[in-house]
Amino acid sequence: MSAVIDRSWRDPELLAKALPAVLLQTTCFLAPLLMTIALTFQRTRDFQLNWTWSLYTWTDVFTKPHYWTILGHTLFMAILCVALCLAIAFPVAYALATRLRSFQNHVKVLITFAFLTDATLKTFGWVLFLDKNGAANYLAQGLGFEGELVNILFTDWATMLGMVYNLLAFAIFTIYLSIDEIDRSLILAAYDAGASKFRAFWEVTLPLARPGIWAGAVLIFLLAVGVFLEPKVLGGGKSPMSAELIRQTFETRVNWPLGAALTMVLMTVAVFVVLLFNRVYSLKRHMGPA
Amino acid sequence: MAYPSVKPWLNAAAEARLANLILYGSVALVLVFFYVPIFTLIAFSFQEGRFLTLPFEGFSLRWYGELFRNSNAANALWNSTLIALFAMVFATLIGTLAAIVAVRYRFRLRIPFTGLAAAPLAFPQLLLGIVLLLWFSVLGRQFNFNTGLVTAIIGHVVYIAPFAMVIVAVQVFNFDATLEDAARDCGASTWEVYRYVTLPLLWPGIFSAAIFSFLLSWGNFYLTYSLAGSTRTLPTFVFSGIATGSSPLYPAIATVVFIPGILLVILADRMRRKAA
Repeated sequence: MSAVIDRSWRDPELLAKALPAVLLQTTCFLAPLLMTIALTFQRTRDFQLNWTWSLYTWTDVFTKPHYWTILGHTLFMAILCVALCLAIAFPVAYALATRLRSFQNHVKVLITFAFLTDATLKTFGWVLFLDKNGAANYLAQGLGFEGELVNILFTDWATMLGMVYNLLAFAIFTIYLSIDEIDRSLILAAYDAGASKFRAFWEVTLPLARPGIWAGAVLIFLLAVGVFLEPKVLGGGKSPMSAELIRQTFETRVNWPLGAALTMVLMTVAVFVVLLFNRVYSLKRHMGPA
Repeated sequence: MAYPSVKPWLNAAAEARLANLILYGSVALVLVFFYVPIFTLIAFSFQEGRFLTLPFEGFSLRWYGELFRNSNAANALWNSTLIALFAMVFATLIGTLAAIVAVRYRFRLRIPFTGLAAAPLAFPQLLLGIVLLLWFSVLGRQFNFNTGLVTAIIGHVVYIAPFAMVIVAVQVFNFDATLEDAARDCGASTWEVYRYVTLPLLWPGIFSAAIFSFLLSWGNFYLTYSLAGSTRTLPTFVFSGIATGSSPLYPAIATVVFIPGILLVILADRMRRKAA
């Protein structure tokens, strides 16, 4: 275990090591973010940005229900995606941490590779698989099913499949890490106290795995809110999500202030939803059985 | 706290069997799920015909040949590699230093520092790309430059450095600081301690962070899409192709992309296990 060293924040060695990250993230993350906020109060004329302060964009955003319908759809898809990812990831992470002793590393390598492979290519692979004349129906017909059994390409179902596919690994990793850290003796203690395996799981393992579940949920939610590849490629662009709307605003309509405003709305609402869930979650913990 | 005793609805042996079934079953299903598109692409890459439908007209390496004659694809491959190499070096360097600062030192501003250094992790990539595109466009107008390779690399580093930081942080956390003290007691200078003690001990973490960084950058779509201007990398090259209609070239590209990926992931895993 590494010893923690107390240092003044003005210590030159510490400053030298911290500087690159601080410089990078202030100039290329924080500053652009602040500028984006400033941009929302500007106007465009003839596709050119005018640096004149106005609330025009914001009145536009708050008076057009169209933007908010898309936002609602996006949030719904993101929350559903989180729920599905957690439900699928938990048993996998649990098995990785507690079973599969000899295969554990192989499974981890396989999951890591699938996770790190280019998302565009994998999404395209799903198109080939789900297509009417694609691999899924070919296999189904080979097994004796009649007609086109799999016909979900270019629907919200296909979008959801792609989102879960591309984000699932985040939940597997975070939940695995938190289960892996659980002290085995706590579970053995529960057995000694007469708990069944299920009860020990429910009363000991699950609560201790909460940080991982929570981290995975937040990460996936924030990423799911911003997807654009899956609705475009797998969903066929039929029901656009916020990210696609934002992209169009920038690229097709060349309306930077509006795009910036929609970006800020999406981020604010996303963070707000996370905080809301966090609040409900901690309330439940305080009021529920200890 | 006492719980009322409930008659279990399954006896212990059946419960254990059911649990194992669910656990092993879920791992198997998820692996199948993860590899469905990957194997579909590999299978389609060997098909003869012009259309990406089943049944195949025949098996051939025709599209691999076409791929290597296609200069746009070769160009995209070269750009991807170049961006990924630069992003890897900078992201790993910045991430490693930040991880050491965040885990080993306790100082005022530690929490704001960690938050700032890790912030892009939780920011949707497309939005990060857009925010950076606006930034570079405004700066570009001021200082007269266009988006391209360099801005793409900067964007990748912003996004990947936090990943590298988290990976190295795990290694730093398990680091035995007394070894550094021992070296210092034996008369090693600060630089020598770094060169001969700290770096070798952290090396496995740094190495796997580097490989992760390379692959994250190599496969990155969203940031490249926003920030590379007219420069195409493999992901954006494929995307622009899919958007206009699929070509039999893409499964072959995908298969070519998979090979270095799986080799690097295995290598990273070896390194990490050797260290553990």
